Amino acid sequence: MRIRSVQTILGVSSTQGELVRQSLRLARLLVICVGLAFTAIAAPSFGQQPATAQNLPSSMIPNVKCVIGLENIKPGTTGTLTSLPTGLEFATGKRKATVITSSILDVFTGQESRQDVSGMGGTLVEAAIPYGGGRFVSLFSHKVDVLDVEYVDSDGGFHGAIFVLPAGKATAFKNQLVAQGAKVSRHVEAPQPKDQKP
Amino acid sequence: MNPLSRAPLLFIFSFALGTTLLMGAFLDAQPGVAGNPEPAPPQTQKLTASAIQLERILPPEDLLIPEDTRVSMYENVILQLTKTKKFQHVYRSGDRTAADAPDLVVLHLIPEAFKPGSQKEREVITVAGTTSIKVKVQFTSREDKVLLEKDVVGKVRFYGENLRATYDLAKKVAALVNESF
Repeated sequence: MRIRSVQTILGVSSTQGELVRQSLRLARLLVICVGLAFTAIAAPSFGQQPATAQNLPSSMIPNVKCVIGLENIKPGTTGTLTSLPTGLEFATGKRKATVITSSILDVFTGQESRQDVSGMGGTLVEAAIPYGGGRFVSLFSHKVDVLDVEYVDSDGGFHGAIFVLPAGKATAFKNQLVAQGAKVSRHVEAPQPKDQKP
Repeated sequence: MNPLSRAPLLFIFSFALGTTLLMGAFLDAQPGVAGNPEPAPPQTQKLTASAIQLERILPPEDLLIPEDTRVSMYENVILQLTKTKKFQHVYRSGDRTAADAPDLVVLHLIPEAFKPGSQKEREVITVAGTTSIKVKVQFTSREDKVLLEKDVVGKVRFYGENLRATYDLAKKVAALVNESF
């Protein structure tokens, strides 16, 4: 009786051990499979650089605000400005506007300073800060580049488009347009608003 | 009557008399408001045109205006002219199709003064940093005959970017168009 009971106990323990071993093996296999799957998915993306603004081609500038002047684009819309071999293109989520190089009459660049907190919401927030704290918020600003493109439409009508670009991007973009054959005249320095002076 | 009690009455009477005289003098100075109506100043005859063409804004040589201000002024005026719905067509400078328009009025904007302000100053100091542009608005016929001329000033005083002065100017040009056409 004793021997039988010991055997049964040993039998039970041996099956439990096997179960543990099998589950460990399965777990290992699962981990390996998951690892392989992750590697397979991630392999192509490791080859690519993250798509930040710096790594995009220099001809494509995201986060550009079209202040005014493009047909079919609402004033103040933000989108991507691209230098194409035939001219420039401004694209938002839904709409696109293109200006061909031969129609460009002049290109100007400039620098401006924009408030960090601006717009209707920003103004309300500034007004809500007690003890005139909103004025302190108004002291914070950042530099931006401004690109003006004067061009004519198919009927010969004069247009002027104003873009606000991240700082340091406008001159390179203008040079690309000039290299494509856009006309540029000599410019005289106009008085800039006080907060735009270096 | 006691002289002491007469003094306030005299004061009230003289105050009322003075006020009446002043009001009378003021109403006399206002033509057409007082009893003897003066002939109203001749109502400027409204202009009529089915199309308008905005010429390019070229400042005089001695006045330097930033390019973005000039371009923004032009585009804002085009937008506001279209919004007035006074004209069937709003033509841009150089538009060849404007040659076919039967009664075309040409709009010239001649900058006369420009004061570059500062958005930061406006928002921090409030009473400083105003950006302003003064422009002579001139409506002419196709043959360069001046039909109407007026000075308009666009300003941004408290809040907003400097280019907002051009929006203000464009709104005032549109108001002038609304009252003249």
